[in-house]
Amino acid sequence: MTLRAERISKQYGDVSVLREVSFETGRGQSVAVVGPSGSGKSTLLHVLGTLDRPSSGRVEIDGRDPYALSDKELARFRNRGIGFVFQDHHLLPQYSVLENVLIPTLASGNAGSGDGDRARNLIERVGLAHRANHRPAALSGGERQRAAVARALVNRPALLLCDEPTGSLDRARADEIGDLIFELHAREDTILIGVTHSPEMAARFERTLELREGTCVEA
Amino acid sequence: MRRSLTFFWRIHLSVLLGVAVATAVLTGALLVGDSVRDSLRDLTLDRLGDIDHALVSERFFRTDLARDIEAADDGLTVVPAVTLSGSAVHATEGTRASRVAILGVDSRFAGLFDANAPDLARRGAATPLVANESLRSELNARVGNAVLLSFELPGDVHRESLFGRDGISESIQTVRARLTGVVPDRGMGRFGLRPRQRTPLNAFVSLPLLQETLGLPGRVNMLLVSQDAQAVGDPAPALARAATLDDLGLSMRVDAGYLAVESTGFLLKPHVANPVLGLADELGMPRMAILTYLANTIRVGDRVLPYSTVAAMDVGRVGNLRLADGRPAPVPGEGEVLLNAWAAQDLRAGTGDAVELAYFEAGPKEALSTRHVTLRLAGVVAMEELGADSLLTPALPGLHDAEDMHAWDPPFPVDLKRIRPADEAYWDAYRAAPKAIVSAATGQRLWRSRFGSLTSVRMGPAPGLDAGQSAGRFRTGLREALPPESAGMGFQPVREQGLAASSGSTDFGGLFVGFSLFLIVSAALLVGLLFRLGVEQRADEVGVLMASGFTAGAIRRRFMGEAVLLAGLGGLIGLAGGLAYGWLMIAGLRTWWVPAVGTGELTLHVHGSGLAAGFLISQIVVLLTILTTVRRLGGLPVRALLSGAAHHATAGSGRRLTVLALASLGLAAACLAGAPDAGREAAIALFFGCGTFLLISGLCALAVWFQRGRRTLVTGIWKMGVWNSARNPGRSLLCASLIASACFVVVAVGAHRRTDAGRDALISRTSGAGGFQLIAETDAPLYHDPGSADGRFELGFSEGDARILDGARIMPFRVLPGDDVSCLNLYRPRHPRVLGVPETLIRRGGFAFDRLLHETEAPWTLLTRQAEPGVIPAFGDANSVTWILHKNLGDEIPIQTETGETVRLRLVGLLKHSIFQSELLVSEANFTAHFPDRSGYGYFLVETDRPGETGAILERRLQDAGLDATPTSARLAHFRTVENTYLSTFQTLGGLGVLLGTIGLGIVMVRNVVERRTELAALRALGFRRALLSGLLCVENGFLMATGMGIGVVAAIVTTVPHASGGGLPWTSLLAMLCLIFSAGLAAGTAGVLVALRTPLLPALKREGA
Repeated sequence: MTLRAERISKQYGDVSVLREVSFETGRGQSVAVVGPSGSGKSTLLHVLGTLDRPSSGRVEIDGRDPYALSDKELARFRNRGIGFVFQDHHLLPQYSVLENVLIPTLASGNAGSGDGDRARNLIERVGLAHRANHRPAALSGGERQRAAVARALVNRPALLLCDEPTGSLDRARADEIGDLIFELHAREDTILIGVTHSPEMAARFERTLELREGTCVEA
Repeated sequence: MRRSLTFFWRIHLSVLLGVAVATAVLTGALLVGDSVRDSLRDLTLDRLGDIDHALVSERFFRTDLARDIEAADDGLTVVPAVTLSGSAVHATEGTRASRVAILGVDSRFAGLFDANAPDLARRGAATPLVANESLRSELNARVGNAVLLSFELPGDVHRESLFGRDGISESIQTVRARLTGVVPDRGMGRFGLRPRQRTPLNAFVSLPLLQETLGLPGRVNMLLVSQDAQAVGDPAPALARAATLDDLGLSMRVDAGYLAVESTGFLLKPHVANPVLGLADELGMPRMAILTYLANTIRVGDRVLPYSTVAAMDVGRVGNLRLADGRPAPVPGEGEVLLNAWAAQDLRAGTGDAVELAYFEAGPKEALSTRHVTLRLAGVVAMEELGADSLLTPALPGLHDAEDMHAWDPPFPVDLKRIRPADEAYWDAYRAAPKAIVSAATGQRLWRSRFGSLTSVRMGPAPGLDAGQSAGRFRTGLREALPPESAGMGFQPVREQGLAASSGSTDFGGLFVGFSLFLIVSAALLVGLLFRLGVEQRADEVGVLMASGFTAGAIRRRFMGEAVLLAGLGGLIGLAGGLAYGWLMIAGLRTWWVPAVGTGELTLHVHGSGLAAGFLISQIVVLLTILTTVRRLGGLPVRALLSGAAHHATAGSGRRLTVLALASLGLAAACLAGAPDAGREAAIALFFGCGTFLLISGLCALAVWFQRGRRTLVTGIWKMGVWNSARNPGRSLLCASLIASACFVVVAVGAHRRTDAGRDALISRTSGAGGFQLIAETDAPLYHDPGSADGRFELGFSEGDARILDGARIMPFRVLPGDDVSCLNLYRPRHPRVLGVPETLIRRGGFAFDRLLHETEAPWTLLTRQAEPGVIPAFGDANSVTWILHKNLGDEIPIQTETGETVRLRLVGLLKHSIFQSELLVSEANFTAHFPDRSGYGYFLVETDRPGETGAILERRLQDAGLDATPTSARLAHFRTVENTYLSTFQTLGGLGVLLGTIGLGIVMVRNVVERRTELAALRALGFRRALLSGLLCVENGFLMATGMGIGVVAAIVTTVPHASGGGLPWTSLLAMLCLIFSAGLAAGTAGVLVALRTPLLPALKREGA
């Protein structure tokens, strides 16, 4: 799998958030996106994750432009091909860890027969087996983020996008989550793209893209 | 506060509108009550004009009595008039109107209404007639058309007595009139003394012309009194001073040293005779009570005398009776008779001979039987004084003024061929002088009847006075001893009674508050819900304030300050809405729901008190609801509030809720168990109690379910939607409550809707129609029985008609006119209409009973059970007794007899959904005993296989009597329409409750989407399509709708089962209604979701600006 961003720009009204950002990466690679607040990091991630259509430029995943897909196809593409980990985990409070991890499998209506095993397996791998039936309110910040990582990987996505996954955690917890993400990235052989403010975290990625006022420079 | 109010304007606006709705509904309901009362009051004042009191007598009296009363009290204006009940027929088109008030009036009558006198001057052969618009419209007549007016001829002598019997042809008069004018249905046109909302059918004719037609010149039967401001409230004293013995139906004669009191009605009624006898004793006047009767035959051996009068009296008290030899005649003992010399000679009878008397005995329905009695001749009296005294026989129409016996035209059958020249000679010499004399005791035993037991009382002079002086003293004394009221001439304070009755049998204010209660509760819940949403929206604000050291009380006060302002503003808007709502409800009652009230003349009346009450009550309800919401803030941790988590408040403790659910279920079961034995009003209370407890129980169970959480894994979108509804239990519970309570009302009311019982059901004797197919009512009573062959012959039915009627069973009822006690009458009935139930029906039985005072296999026999003096066992329809008379089984209803005495009708049985909803029922025996003056039969039940033909025949032949035949099914349908219309009203308001519920649900769904934008955005990021998210939210919405509806429907069905009639529940219409509600709720929720999802979700995921 390859991911290619070609001269991507994004404007909100008169404000240019991204200016002709281009880069390319492939399966098994990891790319960190760094930059000061407001530099367009999250916007780039959302554009790459097919959540926010670029104002100009082109995104290609495996040679296909996902924005050329219909809404329905795009949703399916996102569901099957992309995994998100947000800074604010966005777990659904009314569901248990297991159910939260299973939620992406419900996008097609019902969970498949192997989905439950896969979810349990992932929960075990993120070290939350003993918390599988707990609701998010009962978990610590680190545990919630682990659950979010498991959820992001439940559909075996080829592209894992992490938006400051350790931003709200202390150093020890951040390292722990970082380890987990990289371990699973390696094991699942995904493309990993992570937005981070942390130089330590950024240093763990193979490549680093720095955004300054919307333009991208490979560090 | 101003900034808070404006910053959160959307949510505050919705709270304000919610308060406005609650205030509008409550105020409007109260205005409906005020409006119905005031409209009835307006109608009362309109129909009475300036009339304060009215006197309507069965007997005619002097027109000049009006003038004499005015002379006795110069504060009174007294207008004499004649009132008759009859029917009118368009002479050419044949259209007919029954229950027409035929009013003989002069210009003074119009003066009571400040109206111009109608032009009733005769210009041709036909009697001029001015009709009110309702009558004109009923007849479809125009000015100039000929109209036939039929009415019963009044008579002094009771028509069912031997001396008053007349066939229908003789008792009913038909007058050809010409419509010369039409007066509108207001003021004079609406005139009527009986409180009722429907416009009467009034036919005005000239008073002198009507008096002439009746053969009663200078006589009237109605006085209408208007009093000026200074007049004493009661015209009775003036009447007592002005009324003469003639007005009271008595005559007094001074003759040959004695004083005689007689009745213009031939027989002295007991309530008149007793004071006469008592006064004579008081004044020390010797007196002799006399009962003169007619013997068809006096026989001694083979010799007979035809048609002779016989006097029963205590010989020797007043006047002389001597034997032929000059000795005083012996007092005849029991079983003895004296003959006068003429008769003894003609019969060749001597002392000790057996004398046989044959005489008629009159029964009801014109039944006439000949009785015989054999007496021993105790002596022969001389043809002088009492022995040949024609004045012992009072004047009898058709007899006393006949030149000879062959010219007799008596009201009973005579065979004039039996009359011999000798009899004519006796008539010429002695007129109707009795030929035989028996003792008073013997006479009473043989001839006394309910119409009276004396024909006259003779009195000798009082000690020390001559006959003339004694007569003067007696006359004065009698006016005191015999007040006009006791002779059936009492004034009724019709204005006061009418205004009192205007308060209505039904409290429409209470009814509509009751009808609107669920709507008000729904609006209050909605306000609570909206305010709660507003508070939740500002949870972080609360958290910051608390973190800054504000106490929970101070924050509550801050919120309550906003709430008071919003509630006040909303309440003021609601008052305007209340006027609109009230107007709408009144407009509904005038049009859509007109069967419930029977008049299109209700108008909106606005009272400051109603507005104030509506405003205050709704403010209290709303503020209490808001206070409950605000109080919960204090229990939330600051940390939760700072994170905006005010909605994590639960719906209560699980254990407490479980206990509450079970306790409510137990109470509901208790209500259900108590329902079968409860009285009607208690049953309604139990009905609503049971429903409320079931709703509470169901909603508590839902809350517990929300709290306990899932036991199964969410593996599908449906489950996900269902469990999402548990995300905010309090809010979801409020939504479910709104829907559940509204559905309960709609379904419970719908289940009570009564449908046509169908023909088969009506054939059943235990149906509301008792197995009868027709009800026939006449304007003029019938004295022959159309149910018997003889009666049909007398009534003039053709042989063909009679053959059809042979197959019918007709049961005649006596009628005491009075107020309709059914739901068709909005006024509070004071004098219920009473029917005398024939013995045949008591033996036959039938009809369904709601409850009986004493359990028995033959319920109708309860009417014949002996009760203490002054008490009459009575039946009433359960609905009328409960809701209109506001009485219960065993209660007593006082009514006045013709003599002004009060008797009590004790309710010993309540009929169920019967045709007798307009009246109370007593046995005919009790009826005739207590209302002896009411003659004939005016109500008939017909059991027939050919109702159409039978009804047509009866109507055609008995048209002059104003007979109207109505299918019992139509009568029941009429009552049912009223009941169903009330239910429709209730259901409509329940429907508005559903509307509020769905609005609430829609708002909650929008709020849910707004609150969960991040969550929904995350789901979008995880690959959920927008349509799938919409579906997910619709499942949540649908689940809350379905759960709320389920709780409401189950509560309604369980509650309704003990009350449902045999027909079961109307499932089809209920299912259709529920589908409609569900669709509407789903549509409202979906619309809210779609609106909320239209805005982009992505920004919710961003923590950074870009």
